[in-house]
Amino acid sequence: MTAQHTPTHQHPSADDPRILLDDSIGQFEAIPPYPPRTEREAEFYTLGDGEMFINMGPQHPSTHGVLRVVLKINGEQVVDLDPVLGYLHRGVEKLCENADYHHINSQVDPLEYISSLFCEWSPVMAFEHLLDVEVPRRAEYIRVLTGELNRVLSHALFMGWMALDLGGLTPILWSFIERDEIAEMLASITGQRLLFNYFRIGGVNGDINHEFMSRLGDWMTRASAQHEANTQLLNENEIFVRRMRDLGRLDRETALRMAVTGPNLRATGTPYDVRRAHPYSVYPELEFDVPTRGHNGGDCLDRYLLRVDEVKQSLRIIDQCLHNMPDGPVMAKLPRLLRPRPGRAFAAVEGPRGMYATYAISDGTDQPFRMRIHDPSFIALQLVPLLMKDNLVADTMAVMASLDPIMGGVDK
Amino acid sequence: MDRQLRKRLEARFGERLTGPVRQRHDQTEIRIAPSDVPEVMRELHDDPTLDFQLLADLAGVDTGTHMQVVYHLWSATTPDWLRVIADGMPRDDPRVPSLTGLWPGAEWMEREAYDMFGIIFEGNRDLRRIYMPPDYTSFPLRKDFYLADDAARSPGGGVRHMEQTHVPTQATDRVVRRTVKA
Repeated sequence: MTAQHTPTHQHPSADDPRILLDDSIGQFEAIPPYPPRTEREAEFYTLGDGEMFINMGPQHPSTHGVLRVVLKINGEQVVDLDPVLGYLHRGVEKLCENADYHHINSQVDPLEYISSLFCEWSPVMAFEHLLDVEVPRRAEYIRVLTGELNRVLSHALFMGWMALDLGGLTPILWSFIERDEIAEMLASITGQRLLFNYFRIGGVNGDINHEFMSRLGDWMTRASAQHEANTQLLNENEIFVRRMRDLGRLDRETALRMAVTGPNLRATGTPYDVRRAHPYSVYPELEFDVPTRGHNGGDCLDRYLLRVDEVKQSLRIIDQCLHNMPDGPVMAKLPRLLRPRPGRAFAAVEGPRGMYATYAISDGTDQPFRMRIHDPSFIALQLVPLLMKDNLVADTMAVMASLDPIMGGVDK
Repeated sequence: MDRQLRKRLEARFGERLTGPVRQRHDQTEIRIAPSDVPEVMRELHDDPTLDFQLLADLAGVDTGTHMQVVYHLWSATTPDWLRVIADGMPRDDPRVPSLTGLWPGAEWMEREAYDMFGIIFEGNRDLRRIYMPPDYTSFPLRKDFYLADDAARSPGGGVRHMEQTHVPTQATDRVVRRTVKA
C-alpha cells in the first residue's frame, strides 16, 4: 500500500462489464480520501520508511463491539494507531433529551450492555439529586446487591473474553456458566437477562422475590470456590502469564492525566474507587477493600489480576447486603409526571469498567434539558494508542481486551 | 456540601469567578470565562490545598442562548464534586482553550464536544469528528437540531399527552419561535 490514496474507480475490474462496482458505496480504504484536517491526522496518515497501514475491524470479532482501528505498522511492530469510532453511535444523549425522565432508563440500558445496571444507576441518581428524593434504604440495598452481582457477571465475562482474544477458548465457556447463573438470577427479579431496566427514579422496579433468593443462595454457596477454579485456569497458565506480563504498561501519573478511572487506574496503584472516594448509596456502611495492583508497573497482567481481586470484594459486599437488608418499601412516593425544578446535578457510580457519570440539567419540564453521559470505556480506549507503541500487532487485541472497553458505551 | 471549599475557591479565584459559587447536594459549582480555563484549571490541579487530580467529565452544553463547557473535577481534599462552567460562548463561534496540555485524556472528550456542539477547543491537536462521519456538517446536540420524529414538536403534537410542546426556558427567540410554530 502506498501513501497516496488510490481512487476507487481505478479498480482493476472497473472495465469488466460483468462486475458491477458501485463507487458510491466505496471501498474500505485505510487512508481517508480527503486531506488531513488536523495536526495529528496529518502525522498519522504520513508513512515513514518501511511503514504501512492495515485496517483492523470494523467487523473484527474480538473488538467487543464494532470498532475500526487503523494500524500503522513497521514489519510486525505497531508504530501508531488510530481508533475510528461511531459505528454504534445512536445519539443516546439526544434521545434522552427528547424522552421524559422515566423513559431514559430504557434508553441508557444498552450503553454498556454487559453492565446495564450501572448505566441506569448514574442517571437515576442524578435525577434523584434534581428532584431531592430520598431513596428508601431497602431499595438502596437492593441496588447495591444487584449492582455487585452485575459486576461479578461483567468481570466473569471479561476473563473469558480476555482469554478468547488471546486464543484460549475454554475460559469463555466457563465464565458463561457463571454469567448465566447470575443473568438468570437477575432475570427473576428484573424480567430481563441482558438489559435489566430495573432501577427507577426513587427506588427499584420490584422487591426481591423467592426465586431470586433461592438462586442467589444456591450460587453463593459455591461462588468463591467456582471463582477460584475459573481463575486458576488463567492465573497458573504460563502462556497466558508470560504473554500478559510487561505488556501495555501504564504508570500512575499517566493514568491520572489520561483521566482513566476504574480497574485500569487501580491497576497502576492508585486506590481511586468512587464507592470510597465519593461514597454514594449505602457503600459507607459496607465493609470492603479497594484492591490495587501495580508492582509489575501496571501491565495487562495487573489489570487482569485486579479484576480477579475485585470479584472477591464484590462477593463480600453481596454477603453483607444479604445480612443487613432492612425491611420497608422499595420505591419512594413520586408523582407519575416528574418535573424537577430547574437545576443541575452530577452523579457518578463505580462500574466494572470505571466511573459512569451523568450530568443532567433540568429546565423545569418533564424532559432533561441536557443529559451528558460519561462512559469509562470511551476514556479507556483512548489509552490504546499510548500503550500500543512499539508492541506487536498481535498484542493489540491483548491490550485492548485488558482495558475491557464495551463499544456500546464508547459510541453512545 | 463543603462550605470550606467555597471559601477557599472564593479567596483563590476572586474576581475571576463570573458568578457566585453555588452549592447543592454534593456539588460545588463555579463559573469562569472561557479564556481563564487553562489558568484556573492549572491552579486547581497544581495547588496542593485544592489538588483536583482527576478530570471526571467534560461536557458541552447549548443553553439555547450561548454555549458552555462544563468540567467536573475530583479531589481527595473535598467530599464535593467541583463543577467548573466556562460560560458565555457565542453560539455562532464558540471557542475555548483546550485542556489537553494539562489532562491529555481530555482530547477525546473535547473531540466529542466539538462533534456534537461545534465548540472549537484551541490547542487540541486532533480536533476532528469522533462519532459522526467526516463529511457530516451539522452539530446534533445543539438545541436547534430537531429529531425527525420528535412527536412533541411535530404537527401531530397531540400524540404526547403530557406536554404539547417542549419549550426550553432559556431558549433563544429563534428556537422558541420554531418550537411554537411546529
